[in-house]
Amino acid sequence: MSEHHKENFITKYIFSMDHKMIAKQFLLTGMFMAVVGMLMSAIFRVQLANPGETSILYNLLPSTWLNDAGGLNPDKYLALVTMHGTILVFWVLTAGLSGTFANFLIPLQIGARDMASGFLNMLSYWFFFIATVVLLSSLFVESGPASGGWTIYPPLSALPQAIPGSGTGMTLWLISITLFVVGSLLGGLNYIVTILNLRTIGMTMQRLPLTVWALLITAILGVLSFPVLLSCGLLLVFDRSFGTSFYLSDIIINGEVLHNEGGSPILFEHLFWFLGHPEVYIILLPALGIVSEVISVNSRKPIFGYKAMVGALLLIAFLSFIVWGHHMFMTGMNPFLGSVFTFTTLLIAIPSAVKVFNYLATLWRGNIRFTPAMLFAIGTVSAFITGGLTGIILGDSALDINVHDTYFVVGHFHIVMGLSAIYGMFAGVYHWFPKMYGRMMNKNLGYIHFWGTFICAYGVFFPMHFLGLAGLPRRYYSNSAFPMFDGLSDINSLITFFALAGAIVQAIFLFNFFYSIFKGTKASQNPWKSNTLEWTTPVERIHGNWPGELPVVKRWAYDYSKPGAEEDFILQTEPLKDGEIEH
Amino acid sequence: MTNILIFIIVISVIATLVQIVRVSELLSEIKNKDVNEVTDKDNNTQGLLFLIVGFGFLIFVVWQMITWDHLLLPPASSVHGTQIDLLMKVSMGLIIVVFFITSPMLFYFAFKYRGKKSNNAYFLSHNNKLEVVWTVIPTIILTVLIIFGLKTWDNAMNVEVTESTKLIEVYAKQYNWTARYSGLDNKLGKANYKLVKGKNTLGVDMLDINSADDKMAREVHLVVNEPVLLKFRSQDVIHSAFLPHFRVQMNCVPGITTQFGFTPNKTTAQMKESEGEDFEYVLLCNKICGASHFNMQMKFIVETQEEYDIWIASQDNLEKKLLTQK
Amino acid sequence: MDIALRNMVKKQLLWISLAAISMFFASMLSAFIVEKADVGNWKEFILPNYFVFSTGVIILSSLVLFFIKPQLKKDKSIFSLVFTVLILGIIFSYLQIKGWQQLTNQGIYLTGVGSNISGSFLYILTLTHLLHLVGGLVGLCISAIKSKQNLYSINNYLGLELTAIYWHFLTVLWVILFAFLKFY
Ligand code: HEM
Ligand SMILES: [Cu+2]
Ligand SMILES: [Cu+2]
Repeated sequence: MSEHHKENFITKYIFSMDHKMIAKQFLLTGMFMAVVGMLMSAIFRVQLANPGETSILYNLLPSTWLNDAGGLNPDKYLALVTMHGTILVFWVLTAGLSGTFANFLIPLQIGARDMASGFLNMLSYWFFFIATVVLLSSLFVESGPASGGWTIYPPLSALPQAIPGSGTGMTLWLISITLFVVGSLLGGLNYIVTILNLRTIGMTMQRLPLTVWALLITAILGVLSFPVLLSCGLLLVFDRSFGTSFYLSDIIINGEVLHNEGGSPILFEHLFWFLGHPEVYIILLPALGIVSEVISVNSRKPIFGYKAMVGALLLIAFLSFIVWGHHMFMTGMNPFLGSVFTFTTLLIAIPSAVKVFNYLATLWRGNIRFTPAMLFAIGTVSAFITGGLTGIILGDSALDINVHDTYFVVGHFHIVMGLSAIYGMFAGVYHWFPKMYGRMMNKNLGYIHFWGTFICAYGVFFPMHFLGLAGLPRRYYSNSAFPMFDGLSDINSLITFFALAGAIVQAIFLFNFFYSIFKGTKASQNPWKSNTLEWTTPVERIHGNWPGELPVVKRWAYDYSKPGAEEDFILQTEPLKDGEIEH
Repeated sequence: MTNILIFIIVISVIATLVQIVRVSELLSEIKNKDVNEVTDKDNNTQGLLFLIVGFGFLIFVVWQMITWDHLLLPPASSVHGTQIDLLMKVSMGLIIVVFFITSPMLFYFAFKYRGKKSNNAYFLSHNNKLEVVWTVIPTIILTVLIIFGLKTWDNAMNVEVTESTKLIEVYAKQYNWTARYSGLDNKLGKANYKLVKGKNTLGVDMLDINSADDKMAREVHLVVNEPVLLKFRSQDVIHSAFLPHFRVQMNCVPGITTQFGFTPNKTTAQMKESEGEDFEYVLLCNKICGASHFNMQMKFIVETQEEYDIWIASQDNLEKKLLTQK
Repeated sequence: MDIALRNMVKKQLLWISLAAISMFFASMLSAFIVEKADVGNWKEFILPNYFVFSTGVIILSSLVLFFIKPQLKKDKSIFSLVFTVLILGIIFSYLQIKGWQQLTNQGIYLTGVGSNISGSFLYILTLTHLLHLVGGLVGLCISAIKSKQNLYSINNYLGLELTAIYWHFLTVLWVILFAFLKFY
């Protein structure tokens, strides 16, 4: 299909159908959005440390967002929180992560010349791109961007009278998310079909690298859950713009009595979280896939319990469809239903635990080489342990009564999802950068970046558990309205300090990334001495990936330090020796 | 002006970084080495850093637990809350133990198995026995937690409502709370959002005979050790009634009435004694609801029967408030 | 990629999209079930007769599609068959619109003061189904033109086959929706 055609600048860099170029487009867009989202968080953290005071960072904001004294307006605080959540969850950790690595790794690791449909792939990016433009444009409308939280619960998000952000800003948010979902679905379809059909000779499912397994399962989750977000959003659009009452009932807003009767905002929550929970695994699983690969390569050891790892992924994916109610324990749901969700939720901890132990067992008696990617991979495991454990508290409905919607939850999901996934993403970038750009990223800057990030991130998110246990609700513009929170201001300042420091540390990464694209030292073909197929391609990027015939796979991806071999790695294309058994 | 200054600083920082990196690359080129090759020395440093920073993190965690312990919520002031606290202690204890086993293991392994060019890793692809063990152990622990959790949940949510259970309505709107007492008959009169008008801010149906003796207030008084059932309504968007000291939380959803029953077991006065003079029970809003979400509060006061009787007698009932005082 | 593989890939793409579309409608139907169970002022409706007729029409259209393959095997023109399906599809759409008219005459509205969630769901379910059907109609138009030009043969009719699969899916979907709205 796409093997033979001439490339000019436009088809090569802009409307490219080459999976490697599309991956880079996703990566760069994702990184740009990550910077935007991070600046937003820096700004609202400053507000939390010094409520009402002005700050030099506020110069980045439109002046209408500030009050006369130069402080941040409360409704714009909520706007920032909302956009931060939306950007990080969807733009950075869904599209930026899956979009980059699914596109880049799937064809390379299964031995295919490109995705099944280069055209759909290109469309997928451009839907994402337009979604990005629409989302960013909502920052500049007069009434401000969406401000009801990234979960956009109605009636708050349905009624423009309720808050300014629910006007034009919310409309743009919905348009943007719809485009985003369409883009994700196109991408997901393509990933699944590619993995199922285009594996090269010998690449059986049992020999797939775990990255590809994770990306496959992620894509399946996405294809089954994103449509639900669409129907959820469609009903919201009808409520907002056409006067239906799916989510609305018995409302007086700003003195205006609405005619809507019979609807239920709780219905929205059910639909939203039916997507929302799988979505968090859509974020996490690719990161875990990357980490499995990076840890195995750099421990010079096979990943421990390959089958159990795949099994755990499948089980987590399956369970993630039947636990959504744990976000809704406090909605007045039938207590029995709450019990069922508690049960299913806590079950997820079992495959999660298995994964952690298998990572530990992979490190055990390894010969660990600390590339920057490896540092981040270990960081992911650490974050997954720390954050997964607090999930056990939250998943218990009885305990959730007092921590629901407090900073405890914020701490939980930033560590288990935010940190695990972003570390996984960094690991992936450091690891595959030589394949992407033919050059190496600077190792020492990578080290500094990791340790700075690791320290600051725990400094930001660990103390949040204590805020939550002190009863502090999330999404508060300021904690000064309640005397009971007066004692917490030190913790808040500490968090803000680490947040700003952490943001600055990311500049090192950005610098390293762009510097290395142009000036980094030249990479060799297989710099990490890795087994997988992508390292059998030439350093120079070519359309079609392999110059001659496609490689033929003879063994699984994890033969590191196999006794009897000359080197401590054996390419997947290497035939089994006489009498050698596959792992 | 500041903007320009920042710009200059940023530019010079970047320039310095470029120089540093260039120099280090040139240096290693002279020495005929690849800068980005991970050496045994790197492995030693990074492994050691995992040990130091990793354990530093664990110490930081312990430090937080000790230093900030006094900031956490005091023990529950309600009967079911005591049970929740116990469950919390057990679960927290458990995850802390697991945390302090697995995290050090991770950091220690990183250190202990840091690579050396001359070493070889141990080829080990799986071990079914081990894997069964670490599937079964979490399963058993979780089963215990689930059973304990579900019992506590059941106990907290399925409150028995008896004759003596006091009924109070808590009504939420942007951005304040109003309470309505059920009066002598202990029955709340009907209400409908269409009847909200003027002083009748809750839309109480005054034609309902149960309404006449209801009382409205901007604070809630409860009698210690008397069960109470709170009924929640909302006028506009979703709010959430959060009473952290009682371990009570319930969303207030327009169009739906939700409820939470509990029995307070410590008076405000008692709490002031142990927690300091400034202590008050307070109701917070815990579901994002707009600009003043962060300041949507109402005072709760737990007192003895006598104090309560005096206070409630001083409040006008709705009949008087809405129908007679025009 | 060789042709067999490419055809397989395209078919799978379609099947997976159908799974995604099914999730869309499944979530809508579960929303319907939940609201019906919960809502106090749920207004029952009687399905318009037009929907009964349209059900017949779309089933008929699907049946007609089954005659295409034998016809192709015999190397005969299939234009009239495809065209019939297209016409039946248009009739179906027309009947749906008539159905909505009948509904508004009964006082069942999509939105506004007189509307009820039951009615809104009814409209939205049928409307989104029809939107998907428009895609099918476009596919049929293209297939009709191509078959007029005799571009299909028994070895080469993937486009037609994909359209047919999609169309059958729409039929099954409608029958489920109809049965659901009628009997649940
Ligand atoms: C051991 C497994 C886990 C359990 C038992 C668990 C449980 C929970 C529960 C019960 C909540 C709701 C808390 C509340 O709102 O009161 C929650 C929130 C959340 N969890 Fe987890 N979780 C687990 C792992 C994860 C993972 C792996 C991720 C992501 C990769 C994740 C992401 C989130 C997010 C994003 C939220 C907050 C959503 C919001 O309200 O904005 N969790 N978790
Ligand atoms: Cu969840
Ligand atoms: Cu509120």
